[in-house]
Amino acid sequence: MALLTSMFESGRIDFKGQELVSKLATFLIVGSALAAVVVGYSQHALSLCFYTYVAGVALTYIVVLPAWPFYKRNPVKWLPRKQAVAGNNTAPALVDSPNQPTSRKTLVEDVSDDEMDN
Amino acid sequence: MNNFLQRLSGITSFAMSTLMVLVVLISLTTPFLPSNPTHAVQLHNVQTTTGRMMDPYDKTSRTAEYARLTFDVDADLSSMFNWNTKLLFTYITVDYQSSNGFNRVVVWDRIVRGKRQAKLKLRKHHNKYLLRNFAQTFEGVEGANLTLIVNPVPYLGVMYDKTMSSIPFSIPRALKAGGKK
Repeated sequence: MALLTSMFESGRIDFKGQELVSKLATFLIVGSALAAVVVGYSQHALSLCFYTYVAGVALTYIVVLPAWPFYKRNPVKWLPRKQAVAGNNTAPALVDSPNQPTSRKTLVEDVSDDEMDN
Repeated sequence: MNNFLQRLSGITSFAMSTLMVLVVLISLTTPFLPSNPTHAVQLHNVQTTTGRMMDPYDKTSRTAEYARLTFDVDADLSSMFNWNTKLLFTYITVDYQSSNGFNRVVVWDRIVRGKRQAKLKLRKHHNKYLLRNFAQTFEGVEGANLTLIVNPVPYLGVMYDKTMSSIPFSIPRALKAGGKK
């Protein structure tokens, strides 16, 4: 169940996954067009050509649209959080002070993929 | 391609573009598919008579010369049916040169819807449609040609005419010059 929600709710994937998605979709769709021509011509029916193509596109949707786990294998590596140094002109107290309300998370690694929409 | 909707949008538009390319390629390659139809047309007789144009019993309507052809057709068009053929429109035309210029009249047609109907064997058929010159008489018309043409109508693509056989003949006169019999 958790796998399903992670695949469909927003369905974000990392950059390597997006590259893989693009290549897979191109390969699958052009391949199903070629297969459609072969099937339709051999069976001497134009309608079979388009049914095959639609089936190929449906297969592509199943492979590409949900955020499968193998698209999320290379998550983005963010730089470590910079610690505040006394004497700098920054205002570190605003970030790490114990009086800061902790319910509002703003740092990227504290927020999960599916909460990013909020 | 970050989230579900972006992937859905991008993949769907690519699939539609590929579908368009597929359709264009099918329609462009259809005229080059091989076919070897056999065809033979034989003209037995041409008779010309006069008749009234609007109503045979209305004496005020004009009289005109009508030609009636008797012909045979032997053709096997089943090899013209490829995966992209919807039907074959076969028709016979008579074309001639007159004082008005070039004339072409369709005198017979048939829609062939499948391979079973593609073997034409017509014996002593007459023209379905009246053959009458635009100027009401065949005066000034020298030679005419009887042509069998097949027009394969595709599911995807452009229709074109494919001329099969052409026979020259002459149309006899029923009215002498001056409009008198």
